[in-house]
Amino acid sequence: MSANPYAVAPLTIARAVRELADVFTWTFDVPGGFAFRPGQFNMLYVHGVGEVPISISGDPAEPERLVHTIRAVGHVTCVMDRLVEGCVLGVRGPYGSAWPVDELKGRDVLVIAGGLGLAPLRPAILRLLAQRADYGRVTVLYGARTPADLLFRDELARWRGRFDLRVEATVDRAGHDWYGPVGVVTRLIDGVPLGHDDAVLICGPEIMMRFVARELEQRGVARDRIWISMERSMKCGVGLCGHCQLAGSFVCKDGPVYRFDRIAPFLQVKEL
Amino acid sequence: MDEFERSLKTHPLLEDLEPAYVQLIAACATSVGFRAGDLLIREGEREDTLYLIVRGTITIEVTRPGSAPSCVETIGAGDVLGVAQLTPATAHLDCRARETVVAIAIDNAALHRAMDDDPRFGYALATRMLARTYHRLARARLQQLDVYR
Repeated sequence: MSANPYAVAPLTIARAVRELADVFTWTFDVPGGFAFRPGQFNMLYVHGVGEVPISISGDPAEPERLVHTIRAVGHVTCVMDRLVEGCVLGVRGPYGSAWPVDELKGRDVLVIAGGLGLAPLRPAILRLLAQRADYGRVTVLYGARTPADLLFRDELARWRGRFDLRVEATVDRAGHDWYGPVGVVTRLIDGVPLGHDDAVLICGPEIMMRFVARELEQRGVARDRIWISMERSMKCGVGLCGHCQLAGSFVCKDGPVYRFDRIAPFLQVKEL
Repeated sequence: MDEFERSLKTHPLLEDLEPAYVQLIAACATSVGFRAGDLLIREGEREDTLYLIVRGTITIEVTRPGSAPSCVETIGAGDVLGVAQLTPATAHLDCRARETVVAIAIDNAALHRAMDDDPRFGYALATRMLARTYHRLARARLQQLDVYR
């Protein structure tokens, strides 16, 4: 990050890939490197349109390639969806807290993603795989709406082909051309052995994360072994404007990744 | 202990259930198998059997007019099919074997008689089935929220 947290760097879209009907991935070439920690996000600015927080979905071992996976859902991201390779955007960041992957060495790690939540978890998974021998069992559970909504499908298939990683995917509904499980992602937890020292990283819609955390707690996983990535309306990125305030914290600065025991009480407060 | 008895005793629904109660269930149970594509339960028909799934995957399907069946849930080994049928009911969805399925089929009428005759047994089994039903209901609610949209 530059000394001025508001300084915007102009970066050119080097590669644009259509992931799903409404989801696309951009790669920016950054010759000088763009160091970040898995789980952090950037503010992406479309000139004259607006700025949005987007998680980094690339490989932390390849800082010269900055990768973002974006769903076209609001005004700015729908404009983004029409941009092509060669277009220039303003980028500032990285901001926020990270998945504690280095702290988890020696432990079994369970990664649970829902929908587009796989994108912010991808850098963490890639880090775990790059340093595979440093961790115990690594399991990835992924839930999506339908088979057509599975993000990074080719990469999931490659991960499934490894002998040192377990990957399970489930969808909420499917036709006869889907041979995997159908049902919510919490169901997949039943088939995963959980030890007292396992760590769990969760990212997805907030309500899904609450259900998943509850299921994990019923399986005996303590709250201080669970991390979740929160989403709120982030504007400044440095904890000043207050748009993303969640109880006594700012999601852009103190989050987006929180240890669950520190955030769980506030998830029950309906006004937050 | 034969394979049938072992499957019955080790099925998660009956785990740690008193042996005498397992015997009551065994008295109204039989081992059954289904090939891929076979229907275990057909929409609109009376649900007269409770299945404890031992092996294989079952798709729970709903068919809309003019479209192929849509799978809303899969269940597999360790699960129970027909768990909600503590009272006589009619199936509201099709349940189809996706692959070879081995299950323990329990005659609902005989089971209900045994539960009526021995209320302690009835309570022990009913609470287990209720816990599973509640668990599945919670998951169905989450699924209904369509959170990934």
